[in-house]
Amino acid sequence: MLAWLAYRWNLGGDIRIRDEAHARELADDTICGFEAIDVALDRGRIGALLRSPNGQVMLIRRHGAKFAGRLLDGHIHTRLDRTQLTLATSEKHFGQITLDLGEAAQHWAASLRRIGG
Amino acid sequence: MLWARRKRPDAYEPRDTLTSLAFGLGSTLAGGLFGAAVLAMAFWLYQWRLFDFGPQWWAVWWAWPLCFVLDDLAYYWFHRFAHRVRWFWAAHVNHHSSQHYNLSTALRQSWTSFFALAFLFRIPIVLLGFHPLMGLFVGAINLIYQFWIHTEAIGRMPRWFEAVMNTPSHHRVHHATNPLYLDRNYAGTFIVWDRMFGTFQREQDSERIRYGIIRQLGSFNLLWAVFHEWAAMGQDFWRAPWRHKTSYLWRPPGWSHDGSRETSDMIRARWLEREKMKQGASLAAQDERSAGEENPA
Repeated sequence: MLAWLAYRWNLGGDIRIRDEAHARELADDTICGFEAIDVALDRGRIGALLRSPNGQVMLIRRHGAKFAGRLLDGHIHTRLDRTQLTLATSEKHFGQITLDLGEAAQHWAASLRRIGG
Repeated sequence: MLWARRKRPDAYEPRDTLTSLAFGLGSTLAGGLFGAAVLAMAFWLYQWRLFDFGPQWWAVWWAWPLCFVLDDLAYYWFHRFAHRVRWFWAAHVNHHSSQHYNLSTALRQSWTSFFALAFLFRIPIVLLGFHPLMGLFVGAINLIYQFWIHTEAIGRMPRWFEAVMNTPSHHRVHHATNPLYLDRNYAGTFIVWDRMFGTFQREQDSERIRYGIIRQLGSFNLLWAVFHEWAAMGQDFWRAPWRHKTSYLWRPPGWSHDGSRETSDMIRARWLEREKMKQGASLAAQDERSAGEENPA
């Protein structure tokens, strides 16, 4: 009943990543001190990829009315379809996400393949 | 929820609320099942009590508030261990698994606290001589007290209240993942324990609070939320070299034998270092500016 009310009243809303600065803030929330030199935002602003100076890549994605992030490791699964990059981490429950990164998708796909070895 | 509808729609999220409610249902069932076993054990231990309040123990009026205060002290230590020892954390993490902080979050009680041996912290009360039913009653009052403090709708309570009692403000700090707030404010009812034992942290208006756990679940799967830390601990135990295996059970969450992860102490230390550097840089810039103003080229 309470969960239904929350749904009926549209609580939670439709949260999006505002801009690059917001994505950086979310990355720092995920791992304290994570500084990004490169940021790619999904066109719908539901996720982002960020790269640190030492080559670590973080995925930020929407989770309900909040965001959750993961550092991507060698166990990542990627699929590129023109401008859309689908990512699945080794954590089954974290789920997979498809990011529309525009022209940057190919560049990010290549660098993620390098992480994946 | 009415408050959230009018002022902060993002304070609740339907799937998060549903998971919290399911958590509450499951923990009630688990509590009923294992609570009976714990109560039976308490009655058995009661025969070795240190002090005896007599057959009419319920008529000793001062024993009730005394029992409440001592039970709250026991709760403080249970709670502190629940955050500092991974074995206990594996059960207690359930309560922190939401990224939201509202009344439904309070229902996220552990399903596995019996398995984690959390009841050990209640034994001293019984051995002191407080009747198990009295312990059960004050424990229930303590739990009920803690329900209303899970809210962002209340800012600060009056100063005297904030000084003595656990409040929404103090408990928001406890649920935060901000480095400054990690592993602080373990109190159940009385915040004085944190002040006494050096774990108190005041809520800062300048610090935007983020709730949940360091590694957010990113999932509304109920069973994963309940058992994820047990699974992770089991994996770490399995993979660790023999001499490090037990450390993964009793050391703080985040500890690793190869230093590849961080405990809350490490995160806070790194954050403090960064803040100091930021402050130093801003002071240096200020000095430079004032020197430039004094000696214009």
